[in-house]
Amino acid sequence: ILDEADVEDILWELEMSLLESDIAISVSEKIVTDVKQELVGSRKKIGGNTSKIVEDALKKSINDVMSANVFDFDEFIDSHEKPVNIVFVGINGTGKTTSIAKIAHRLKSMNKSVVIAAGDTFRAGAIDQIAVHAERIGVKLIKHQEGGDPAAVVYDAVQYAKAHDSDVVLSDTAGRMHTNVNLMAQLQKICRVSAPDLVLFVDEAVAGNDAVERAEQFNEAVPVDGSILTKTDADSKGGAAISIAYITGKPIVFLGLGQEYEDLKKFDPHWFVDQIFS
Amino acid sequence: MVMDKLSNSLQDALKKLVGAGRIDERTVNDVVKDIQRALLQSDVNVKMVMQLSKSIKERALEEDVPQGMNPREHVIRIVYEELMKIVGEGTDIPLKPQKIMMIGLQGSGKTTTTSKLAHYFQRKGLKPAVICADTFRPGAYQQLKTLCESLNVPFYGEEGNPDAVGIVERGLAEIDKYDVKIIDTAGRHSLENDLIDEMERIHAISSPDYKLLVLDAGIGQQASEQAKAFNDSIGISGVVISKLDGTAKGGGAMSAVAATDSSIAFIGVGETPQDLEKFEADRFISRLLGM
Ligand SMILES: Nc1nc2c(ncn2[C@@H]2O[C@H](COP(=O)(O)OP(=O)(O)OP(=O)(O)O)[C@@H](O)[C@H]2O)c(=O)[nH]1
Ligand SMILES: Nc1nc2c(ncn2[C@@H]2O[C@H](COP(=O)(O)OP(=O)(O)OP(=O)(O)O)[C@@H](O)[C@H]2O)c(=O)[nH]1
Ligand SMILES: [K+]
Ligand SMILES: [Mg+2]
Ligand SMILES: [Mg+2]
Repeated sequence: ILDEADVEDILWELEMSLLESDIAISVSEKIVTDVKQELVGSRKKIGGNTSKIVEDALKKSINDVMSANVFDFDEFIDSHEKPVNIVFVGINGTGKTTSIAKIAHRLKSMNKSVVIAAGDTFRAGAIDQIAVHAERIGVKLIKHQEGGDPAAVVYDAVQYAKAHDSDVVLSDTAGRMHTNVNLMAQLQKICRVSAPDLVLFVDEAVAGNDAVERAEQFNEAVPVDGSILTKTDADSKGGAAISIAYITGKPIVFLGLGQEYEDLKKFDPHWFVDQIFS
Repeated sequence: MVMDKLSNSLQDALKKLVGAGRIDERTVNDVVKDIQRALLQSDVNVKMVMQLSKSIKERALEEDVPQGMNPREHVIRIVYEELMKIVGEGTDIPLKPQKIMMIGLQGSGKTTTTSKLAHYFQRKGLKPAVICADTFRPGAYQQLKTLCESLNVPFYGEEGNPDAVGIVERGLAEIDKYDVKIIDTAGRHSLENDLIDEMERIHAISSPDYKLLVLDAGIGQQASEQAKAFNDSIGISGVVISKLDGTAKGGGAMSAVAATDSSIAFIGVGETPQDLEKFEADRFISRLLGM
């Protein structure tokens, strides 16, 4: 029989390594507590290695979080009525615009027709940035003037896609702090007006504990259907993905692996959990 | 699935000390555990947190409570002093003619901070000018140009030319007569060898007086590693913490400062050129501790 003392030290060490992988402390604690509850009082096989049992249990628990609601992006696109409108949201500088470019490139190579909405009308150079991407990839861009109403841009893009029988609309939005009430209200308006089929929350692998707070606030405001974790090339552990999946209860859809269009990967929970424990 | 918000305020932890007449080991252990949690939650490097909590504990138990102070004040002072040792008073960028090079990870806030600094020097009566050496990110040129135009700050860039080093060389000649020359560079991380190499060449050709690393307040455990790599490569003179207007606490940036023996110059608290503040250690530490 395993008692608390048996597992405590091992779990403490594992928790430290979870924290070093950037899984937020609130989430690590919750996962570790659950594992402890599950293990204490359970019977271990004669000759079983306690360390191994504890680590396996923890691994399984994280795997469960990450495998819940697996999401097949391609299937989603194929099974929804055209045009599929996808809105990308998140705080400043996480990689929304670049992820849109990568996904447009991916869809295009799968022979889907794509329309991009330049919904960041706020940040200097934002429209130019996405216009360069759209041109390089060769997809239609719907844009208004800088300072325009982003909801109107997204709405126009959806109308254009309907009129032209396009498959997918990818709508960019300006980065915003989850604490900015006005900007969060603007995001709600964008979603109200354009009725997206999918809202993807974009955050970065280098993020620490704040990932929890942001994910929670964005999920409350819009809510989100899934997330993208970018910049995993800068931080291969990327425990932020676990914080975000845990807090939102929604799947991680893609990983960003660099700044090129090909640097996008479908999320694979098993591969990911192995990374964390490697 | 919304998790219960755990109370992580250090205030709660320190309340435990108010009633305590003298400081016993158990109370200190309790309090140190709460401090540990607050620091981890703020993204302070895990190993650093363990070291810090060890010295806080030792000092709290060994040092006598000074006259006129209660145990709570005594422990707060120790925590504060230990954190002060790490963050220090901050870097004061002098108000004089100089060259500043902006560096950092992708999306950390370099370009925005460039415009904030230009505005800052302008307000102080100096004449800034800006060079765009980001030849990589689509729209980077337009972004900085638009920001500079809105501030009436001279801007040099060569749209479409990928040769960042050449741009900096020509740009510096072009803006020679201005007081403060700020060079914005592309985002990069420690594993991108070509980009690190490019940064070293820009550094060599411009010999900046200040190399400011811009770190997102929300960066986690990677902060120290990344900062070390930038420091090893060209040396860091100071750190700017961006995006402190959200809920992130900046413990990653603090760890980066510790790992590179540098200090913090400014904080960014919004997206406009006005949203720059001088770093204040007191306020930063209070926030870090969740107070
Ligand atoms: N290394 C790396 N860089 C990335 C990745 N994704 C995006 N970036 C870079 O991160 C920076 C910011 O990306 P953007 O796509 O502009 O981010 P954003 O969320 O749209 O930013 P805002 O619109 O300003 O909020 C750019 O320099 C991108 O090239 C990634 O997966 N890896
Ligand atoms: N809320 C807030 N947003 C900020 C702050 N500083 C920068 N930003 C935003 O963060 C995003 C990225 O900022 P940039 O200045 O483009 O970052 P960068 O480091 O130049 O990015 P790359 O050149 O792609 O590496 C933009 O949306 C900025 O408006 C800040 O202090 N607060
Ligand atoms: K960032
Ligand atoms: Mg963007
Ligand atoms: Mg930039």
